[in-house]
Amino acid sequence: MAIRKKPEMINQQVGWCGGCGHGIVQRLIAECCEELGLVEKTVQVVDIACAYWSIDTLNCDGIAGPHGRCAAVATGIKKVRPEANVYVHAGDGCSYVIGLAETCYTAMRDIPITMIVVNNGIFGMTGGQMNPATTLLGDKTVSSVKGRDEKTAGKPFDMLKIIETFDIEYAARGALYDTKHINQTKKMLKKGFENQRDGKGFSIIEILSPCPTNWKMSPVDSMIKLEKENELIFPVRVYKDRGGEK
Amino acid sequence: MNKDYSLMKGNEAIAEGALRAGCRFYAGYPITPQSEILEYMSTHMEERGGVFIQGESEIASMSMIWGAAACGERVMSSSSGPGYDLKQEGISYLASYNLPAVLADVMRYGLGDGEITEGQDSYWEATKGGGHGDSRQIVLTPSSVQECADLTYLAFELADKYNTVAIILSDGAISQMIEKCYLPDALEHDKDKYDWAITGYKEKNATKVKVTNMDRTIGHEAWNELMRNKFKTIYDNEQRWEDFMVEDAELILVAYGISARVCKSAVRSARAQGVKLGLIRPITVWPYPDQAFQNIPESVKALVTVEMSISSQMAPDIQMASKFSKPLYGYLSTLYVPKTEELVAYCKSVLAGNENALEVY
Repeated sequence: MAIRKKPEMINQQVGWCGGCGHGIVQRLIAECCEELGLVEKTVQVVDIACAYWSIDTLNCDGIAGPHGRCAAVATGIKKVRPEANVYVHAGDGCSYVIGLAETCYTAMRDIPITMIVVNNGIFGMTGGQMNPATTLLGDKTVSSVKGRDEKTAGKPFDMLKIIETFDIEYAARGALYDTKHINQTKKMLKKGFENQRDGKGFSIIEILSPCPTNWKMSPVDSMIKLEKENELIFPVRVYKDRGGEK
Repeated sequence: MNKDYSLMKGNEAIAEGALRAGCRFYAGYPITPQSEILEYMSTHMEERGGVFIQGESEIASMSMIWGAAACGERVMSSSSGPGYDLKQEGISYLASYNLPAVLADVMRYGLGDGEITEGQDSYWEATKGGGHGDSRQIVLTPSSVQECADLTYLAFELADKYNTVAIILSDGAISQMIEKCYLPDALEHDKDKYDWAITGYKEKNATKVKVTNMDRTIGHEAWNELMRNKFKTIYDNEQRWEDFMVEDAELILVAYGISARVCKSAVRSARAQGVKLGLIRPITVWPYPDQAFQNIPESVKALVTVEMSISSQMAPDIQMASKFSKPLYGYLSTLYVPKTEELVAYCKSVLAGNENALEVY
């Protein structure tokens, strides 16, 4: 089996939980930026949540934005430094819950950034509370101890179905539960960075990712749940590809 | 200085003052009575080569100006009343990142939604607020359309000088009135002049800029000292105020913004009637101009704060500045702009011993 060379952009170890998907996402981001020759012009905006750990780990300019506001911070950066490769690495809580408006309006303005949303179906950093956007019905969390109930918490919703209706460049969902899907996700991320490099519009890549610590499952069982349960509600596919035409 | 004057609204003067100070990024959300700032920016920012965004909320707008400020640009947002509440998150983050930015807060009356009319109800929020954590922001209070332009221009210089948020604390009356205004010379800001600014264009293997919480970047002790020194330096060097006929006054009025304008006419009117009033007009309310109260003449029998609020929001600052050396009275007109002759009558009543001192709680 071929082993991928560790990207030089990653300059130290990072302290995510065992089996967490954020580390894979970060690695894929670094690989994409290096392979596209974008490292020297990259600016990361990470969420004050699990994604935060990338701020010290990736060797590039960066801001840790307020929870929910990463897309707005990235908008300010991209407007002032349009040549920079600006990406957001945030969770589904930041992007779809508290920052729903910021995410939608950044898409609606078609701001040419690359937005990467890690969908692990839970609030990870704060200790495993329900995510109103992505926790599946019946899933038990510390704020839905009997399982998510539709009557009190509503249903999870597929944000990409909403965002694909906007006039944006690219929207896709990948997953991390096996090599095939990790490679597919990398292609989606690369497409998102290429779009930005080529002066196209807003790209969003959502990534189904496990959270073994807060799901209270083993890393292997977490991957099985991702494939067998989460992907049923959140299908892995390309939702929109404008192809640069506008 | 350009000798040509323009007739402008206070809000327009704030916006034009900002553009002439080199502001090239504005993001905001409409709210009365400050919307003309946003409207003016929407009309004129592009022709100056800058960026205007009407944000989806005050909160998002603050995060946009934060991102732009981190890139070294001169940035501004503005709001009023309930909208200014929402700015607090961004102020705290900008402070934690040691970034310069200018905010205009055109105060209106009341709690909650309150009224869209003039008021001076956000003094506490502007001078003691700024979001969670302890930081201070420079707060400048214009009392004329001319000062709307001049103090906004100055605010950018001070924000830049101290890497801080500077606030223009105006009010609906000052910002809605139309007066002649001499505009300051336009300057261009170089966003690439800072070594801390995000560029995304670093040399390979050069130290990368990490604009993140400064306390984590440099350690808490160094951070605490840096911030304390900054606040102390600002306090020592940036107190601004105007004295008006205080030398022989029996009673000194203390007021800023629209209230200070009425006070000035009250001083003139009272003196024409043989009553010696004076005025101390704070121009900065943080740092509060304590120096203005260091040499209050012995002739002064009492101080009177004149504000458009329910409680005197400025009273504790006046008491601390004057070291409780004189009795303090309050003329608090809530949502009404004080009236000159009623104010003169109140001052006569104070001097006659017919009024109770202000209760400060």
